[in-house]
This record gives sequence, C-alpha cells and structure tokens, in this order.
Amino acid sequence: MSALDLQSLGKSYGGADVVRDVSLSIGQGEFVSLLGPSGCGKTTILRMVAGLIEPTRGRILIGNEDLTHLPPNLRGLGLVFQSYALFPHLTVFENVAFGLRRRNISGSELERRVNEALALVRLSDLGERYPRQLSGGQQQRVAIARAVAPKPRVLLFDEPLSNLDAQLRDEMQIELKRLQQALGMTTLFVTHDQAEALSLSDRVAVMKKGVLQQFGTPEEIYHHPETGFVASFIGKPNRLAGVLVERDGRSGKVRLPGGVELAAAQTTGRVGDRVDVFIRTEAIEMKTGPGETGDLEGRIALRSFSGASVQFVLRLGEGVEIVADSASSSASAALVPGDPVIISIASGGVFAMLPETCHA
Amino acid sequence: MIRKKHGALLITPLGLLLGGFFLAPIFMLLPTSFREYIPGSGFRPHFWTFDNYLRIFADDYYREVIWRTLELGLCVTFICLVLGYPLAYVIVRGASRWRITLTMLVVFPMLLNLVVRSFGWIALLANRGLINTMLQQLGAITTPVKLMYNMTGIMIGLVHIYLPFMVLMLVAAIRNVPRDVEAAAATLGSSRMHVFWAVTLPLSAPGILAGSILVFVLTISALVTPRMLGGPTYKVMATVIYDEYMQLLDWASGSALAFTLTIIAIGIIAFSSRLTQRWVGAA
Repeated sequence: MSALDLQSLGKSYGGADVVRDVSLSIGQGEFVSLLGPSGCGKTTILRMVAGLIEPTRGRILIGNEDLTHLPPNLRGLGLVFQSYALFPHLTVFENVAFGLRRRNISGSELERRVNEALALVRLSDLGERYPRQLSGGQQQRVAIARAVAPKPRVLLFDEPLSNLDAQLRDEMQIELKRLQQALGMTTLFVTHDQAEALSLSDRVAVMKKGVLQQFGTPEEIYHHPETGFVASFIGKPNRLAGVLVERDGRSGKVRLPGGVELAAAQTTGRVGDRVDVFIRTEAIEMKTGPGETGDLEGRIALRSFSGASVQFVLRLGEGVEIVADSASSSASAALVPGDPVIISIASGGVFAMLPETCHA
Repeated sequence: MIRKKHGALLITPLGLLLGGFFLAPIFMLLPTSFREYIPGSGFRPHFWTFDNYLRIFADDYYREVIWRTLELGLCVTFICLVLGYPLAYVIVRGASRWRITLTMLVVFPMLLNLVVRSFGWIALLANRGLINTMLQQLGAITTPVKLMYNMTGIMIGLVHIYLPFMVLMLVAAIRNVPRDVEAAAATLGSSRMHVFWAVTLPLSAPGILAGSILVFVLTISALVTPRMLGGPTYKVMATVIYDEYMQLLDWASGSALAFTLTIIAIGIIAFSSRLTQRWVGAA
C-alpha cells in the first residue's frame, strides 16, 4: 500500500490545463521529488496535496483515506514553504508549538516535542527569538521544525532551498538528507534544481507543462531519459539535429550533419526518423594524444576558464558545434582556440529522441 | 558617502516646514494658556497663572465635556473598527470584480462636503426627520426618539464620516498579510476561524492601530459635525474650545483646553501603541 497516491490529478484555470492527469504512487517513507522548470505545474500539485488548491479532476489518497475534498487543517500534512512563512508575531518556540497546540498537546509533552524538533534542526538555543532575528537559513530550519513537530503523515516541501544563497543551499541539502533519513517520513519535494532532486530523492518525477514526463530513480532519470524533454533537462546536454540510422533495443546509432556517426544509449523513434541528439558535456573526453577507432576530430573554437573547470566550444566539421567541459588540472585544459583536438564521446551520455510535439 | 552632516542637511527643508508651520504656532500658543483674560480689556498684563488648567480639572462642566469627548472618540473608533474590518476584509479577499465597486462606495462619501453630509443626517435624525416620521406612521413609536442633540447623533455622524479612513487603512494592512503564513497555519491544523484569530488579525495589527489612532484623533478634534448634530448646548471639547475663542474671546482658557486635549490624546495613543506591541510580540 502506498503512503500517498495521486490518481489522474488535474487542474485547469479557465480552459487552460495547469496539471494534466498526473498519477503518482509514493511508498511509505519514500522521498520523491517533483522536478521541472517554473510553470510546469509542480507547485500546483503540491498545493493540491496540501489542500490549498481544489483539484479539477482526480483523487488524492493517503493510505485508503480520500483527502481530495478535505480542508487543509484536517489532512495532517506538514508543508515547508519557499518563503518560510513563519509567524512573525510568535517566537521560534511558539512557531514550532503551533501545530502541536492544534492537536491539543500541552504542558511538558508540548515542551518536550518542541525541543525535540528544534534539536533536530540544531536550533535548541534560539527558542526565545523572533523569526526576524534569525538568518535566512535559520528561518528555513525553524520552518522545517514547525512542519515536522506534529509528526505529519506526509511532509511537503515547496522549493525550500531556492531563497538561500548557493553555499547555504548545499549545507541545507545535506542537512535535509540527514533529517529525512533520521525521520523516515514520506516526503514530496518540489524543486526546479536537478542536482537537489537527484541527490535527495529515492525517486524523481520530471514534469513539463503539467504533464508527467518520467517517474523513476535518479539513476534511471539520468541514464535512461524516456523523453526528449528529460534528456534535455537533466545534466548539461548539447542539442543537435540528427537522423537515427540504427536501433537495437534502447540503444542505437545516430548520424549528425556532416556525416559523423555516434552511438547513443537511449533512442526513440524508428530508423530514418529525424531526431534531437543530446550529448552530455560530461560524456565528452578531449584528448591531446593520438585517437582510437571511433574517436572524432575537431578544432577548438572557444575557451572559457571558470575555476575548477574549463569550457570549450568544439567544432566537428561544418556547422556542428558542441560544448565540452574539462577539469582545469587536465592536460587538455591548456588547449587554445584553433588547436586540433581528438574527442571521444561515451555512448552513455548520448541520447537520440524524437523531437517534442508541442502541445498546449 | 553620506555623512551625518549631509543627512541633517537633507532633512532641513522638511524640518523647517514642519517647525515653522506646525510646531511654532503650537508653542506660540503655549504662553497664552498661562494668561488671564479680563472681558473687555484683554490679557491682564505681566500676570501668569495656572488657573486655566486648574479650572479644567476642578470644574464639573469641563470634566464632563472631557469625558464625553474621550467616550465619543473611543466609541467612534471602536464602531469604525468593527464595521470597517469585515468590509476591508471583503475588499481585499473577496471576488476581484467587487473590489473596485466596493472601494468606490467607501471613498464616494468623502467627495461630499462635511457640512452637506451633516445636514443630510439632520434631515434623517431630527424629531420630525425621515426616521422618526416613518417610525411614527408605522405605529412603532408614539413620541419621536431623540436621535439628535445627544451622543447618538454625533456618533452616527462621525462614524459615517471617518469609516472610510479606517477602511482604507485596514485594506492596506490586510493586503500586507502574507497568504503563505495563513496557509501555513491551515496546514498545521488551524480552522479558517482560528487562522483569522491567530494569524490574520495579529498580523494586521499595525493597520488596526494606525486606523484607530487616525479615527480617534480626528473624532476628538472634530468641530463641524458635533456642532451641527450636537446643537448649541450638547458640547464636546472642540466645540467648547471654539466657543471660548470665538464667542467669549477667552483665548487663554481656549488654549489651556486645547493643550489639555492634545496631551490626553497623546497619552492614549502612546498607551494603545504599547498595548498593541505587547499583543503582537513587537512584530
């Protein structure tokens, strides 16, 4: 039995579909991310689960209980907002105690559970402070403690880290992972940041324009994207036009303009179809020495140094350019525009997908 | 870089304007309140006294007028708040197609002159006015209900005039309450009623305070409406002060009354601000 079940959940405003019949089944204790660019409907799904938006179609179940039309206060879920949404007129302690008091917990039991939640996010000493006296990261941790304290059946996160600066975001990401493992709560996490989704989740649901593209483990999403959108959204891919020339189960071979042929790990469509070819920058290896069979030849068109790595724009014959990354400590980092270069592309980072048919 | 000196220079124009046109006249009046007025000949020369102030607190009549004025101020403020909050809430949170209509309805009375509006109330509230005549003809009452020349009349008139101020202040305050914070309370188990009492109301407290102070100050200093609906005998501080100045030409007593009213008002405002701060945790 799954802990949280979305059954062909949909939302329309006027005639426009924001979420199109999304079905997801989340297991007990599982951490699932909804990943997609802004406007893909992921936050709408989360708010429908929380009861803040009324779904147009479909059902939401927790265990066997149908929550679809229940008001948010009767759902027993915890929600962490992007804006933190702390109560500015209450102390940190009272913020965390809010949900417990609503469940008629008081006295020493209340105190124990608030302190437990604050200890979990390592803010035990700040109970008497007001939210405005805390830093952004601390406020976010209070918001998490507040959501966790009443032991909700499902924990919901709405882009909780996107208001933090990069360094703090990385710290919080690790902290969230630790927290999730300690609590083992069923979690639905909304984000537009693929690194966040891949590193935190047991499974990731990739969304585009209200449509669920793929639902699988981070490894499946990364190595075996099922749609062109997933292939283009995950990782840092180059996108080229090509023709599928060979297909063998999932994998196959594509021809790029200029006649270069590449092995692809994941393909859709039939032989002869025009396809979008996605090549991950991390799958491209640049060699300065002699090449092996299957290697490509090219020339450096642009070089851009960014600290730990150097980015190159490589020209592979007429009009075909791809971007490649190279560690700044490697031998190839010293190459300059105009230099010839041998390139080997790992087939695991190449995907050939039928072009997206544009709906909506 | 802006130094302290530059900052001081920047606020000088405003400071001069406020000081010259607002503070200076008030403090020029202060010495007047310590003079003695002799009818027919003016201030008694080279004579200073606290009598004007002592009389205010010793004289039953003045004391009654002060209490009446404060009671009026508090009642009008309270009624405006109770009537205004739901209206402001509907304007902010209600269907957007009603927003402009409702706001226009709130603002519209402000386009009419105060005197005209007070005359309107006289036509309605007088002993032979619309309300009494109608109630008598319906047989609900035999003798007219006294709706004018008393507290009721002044209160009705002032609530009508100052309600828009309260509503506009509250609209701004309620609009500033973040919806996410309310949603957070709801997901933590608050019913809609509890969300209102525990989150929306305290978070709109700054607007409640600002609106209340505004209405209170305007009410206790209102002159035209109390004069017209209170008549020549049922007086409040503003009308007493006016009469001291303009009818009795006793500027000394008038100024003393004016300063007393100002100080009481400031005291009440300071006290209520403190109270509000404690209520919402100095947020």
